[in-house]
Amino acid sequence: MSVIRSRSDLEAEAAPALRRTVAMIEIDRVSQVFQTSTRQDHLALSDISLTVNDGAFVSILGPSGCGKSTLLYIVGGFVQPTRGTARVKGKAITGPGPDRGPVFQEFALFPWKSVLGNVMYGPRQQGVTYSEADAQSRALIEMVGLKGFEDFYPKELSGGMKQRVALARTLAYHPEVLLMDEPFGALDAHTRTRLQNDLLEIWERDRKTVLFVTHSVDEAVFLSDRVVVMTRSPGRIRQIIDIDLPRPRRRTELLLDPHYQKYVVDIERMFDDAGERELRP
Amino acid sequence: MSVGTLFKHLAPFLACLGLLVVWQAASLVLHNDSFPTAIEAIRAIPSILGDKEALFNFAASLRRMAIGFGAAVVVSIPLGLLMGRSRHVASFFNPLLMVIYPVPKAALMPIIMMWLGVGDVAKTLVIFLGVSLPVIYHSFEGAKAVEEKMLWSGAAMGLSSLQRMIRIVLPAALPDILTGCRTGLVLALITMITSEMIARQSGAGNILFNALDMGQYDTVFAMIVVVGAMGIVFDALFEALRTRLVRWSEPPFEIPLSFS
Repeated sequence: MSVIRSRSDLEAEAAPALRRTVAMIEIDRVSQVFQTSTRQDHLALSDISLTVNDGAFVSILGPSGCGKSTLLYIVGGFVQPTRGTARVKGKAITGPGPDRGPVFQEFALFPWKSVLGNVMYGPRQQGVTYSEADAQSRALIEMVGLKGFEDFYPKELSGGMKQRVALARTLAYHPEVLLMDEPFGALDAHTRTRLQNDLLEIWERDRKTVLFVTHSVDEAVFLSDRVVVMTRSPGRIRQIIDIDLPRPRRRTELLLDPHYQKYVVDIERMFDDAGERELRP
Repeated sequence: MSVGTLFKHLAPFLACLGLLVVWQAASLVLHNDSFPTAIEAIRAIPSILGDKEALFNFAASLRRMAIGFGAAVVVSIPLGLLMGRSRHVASFFNPLLMVIYPVPKAALMPIIMMWLGVGDVAKTLVIFLGVSLPVIYHSFEGAKAVEEKMLWSGAAMGLSSLQRMIRIVLPAALPDILTGCRTGLVLALITMITSEMIARQSGAGNILFNALDMGQYDTVFAMIVVVGAMGIVFDALFEALRTRLVRWSEPPFEIPLSFS
C-alpha cells in the first residue's frame, strides 16, 4: 500500500539493518500528579522511563486507573507531564503534532463530516490537493474494509465501523507513530477480534511504530512485540516482556501455541500475585 | 402519499383551523364589542396589507428585527463558544448574563429610550438584547459539550487553537447554536412588537396599539393574526434551514414540530 508509507519506512528499506535500533519514543523519568476534586494531589504516574524503537508494536498493559492512558496522552502532547520529559525522534514533545496520530476508544470522529470527509480532513489540513486527498482517502477506506460507505455519516455506522474510520482518518496523514488508546475497548468480542486481525494485517504492511494501551492480556500478547506491564495507582512499570512469537500472526494458530499461552498465563499470574483481580473476567 | 403522511403535513393547518373555529364560536357566544369574530378579523387583513402606510410600518419593523437579530447572532455565537471552551471567559461573563437573563428586555425600554431616544437605535438594541441571551446560552452549552478527544484529534492534524474553534467547536456545537437561534428568532418578533408598543413611533406594534386606542377591534385582532402568521412563517423558514444544516446530527425519525 503506497498510500500509508511513511518516510521512515522508505529509509528503513534502504537500510534495513539500522531499523530496529532507532529510538522513536523516549520517555524519561515521567511523573504525573493530578489534583482531585477535593484538592488532594493524586500521583497517577510515578517515574516512568521507557524507550520505544522505530517500527515496534508496544502495548502498555495495566488495570484501569493505572495511568496508562495518561502516559499515551503525554506522548501525544495532549497532557504535559508534571516531571520528566518525553521525546519523539530525539525532540522534546511540547504539544500534539501530525507525527503522532491518536486513535481513541471514543472514536472522536467529526459527526458533521461523511466517512470520506473525516478521512480527508488530515491530508487537506496538511495542504494535500483535493483530488489527491480524495484518491488516497478512498484507497484507505477500502483498506479498512469500508468501501461503499464513503458517503455515510458517523451516526449511521456501528461501533466497529466507526473505529475503522478513525483508524483510516489517522493513517491518512501519515503519522510516524500510532497512539492507540484502548481502541477496541468499546466493541463487542466478535468485532474486537476482527479489528485486532485487521489492525495486524495493516500494520504488517508498513510497520509503523505503535503504542497501544489496553487492559486485555490476550490483546496485548497477540498484537505486540513488547508488553509493558504496569502496576496500579501510582502507575509504575512492573515488567517489560518481549513477545517472541513469529509474524505474521494468525489468531487461530496462536491460541493453540503453547508459547502464546505461556505469555498470557505468566502475565495473568503477575496480576494475581499482586491481588489485582480486576483484570480477570 | 399515504393517509398518515398526508395527515402529518396537514396537521398544523388543521390545528390553526380548529383555533379559528373556537375563536369564532367564542366570539358569537360572548357577543362583546371588543371581541370581534374570527371572520371579521380576517376580513380586516386585506385593508391593512393593502395600505401603503401600514406596509411602510411593517418594513420598518422587519428591518429593525433583521438588524437586531443579525447583530445579536454575530456577537453571541463567538461569545458563547468562547465561554464554553474557556473557564476564564465563562467565569467573567456568566454572572453578568445571570443578572440580565431574568429581566424582561422590554422593561429596559423606558431607560434605553431616555438614553437613545424613541427611534430605531433604541428598538433595535432591545431586540438585540432579547435575542442575545438564548443564543449565547445555547452556544455556550454546545461548545462545553464538545468532546475533548475530537479537539485532540484536530490538534494532532495540525489545527491551531483558532482553527479548532472555527472548524471543530463551531460545527460540533451547531445543532445547539441553531436551537438558540430559533428561540432567538421568536424572541426577536416578541421584542420587536413590545418595543413598538412602548416607543410608539412606527412599526407593526404601533398599528396594533393605535387601533386599540381608537377601538378598532377588528384591526387589533387582524394585526394579532398577521403577527402570529409572521412568527409561523419565520419559524418554518428557519426550521427548513436548520434541518438542512444539521441533518448529520438528527435522529432518524421525524417529529413534525413546525410547518416546514
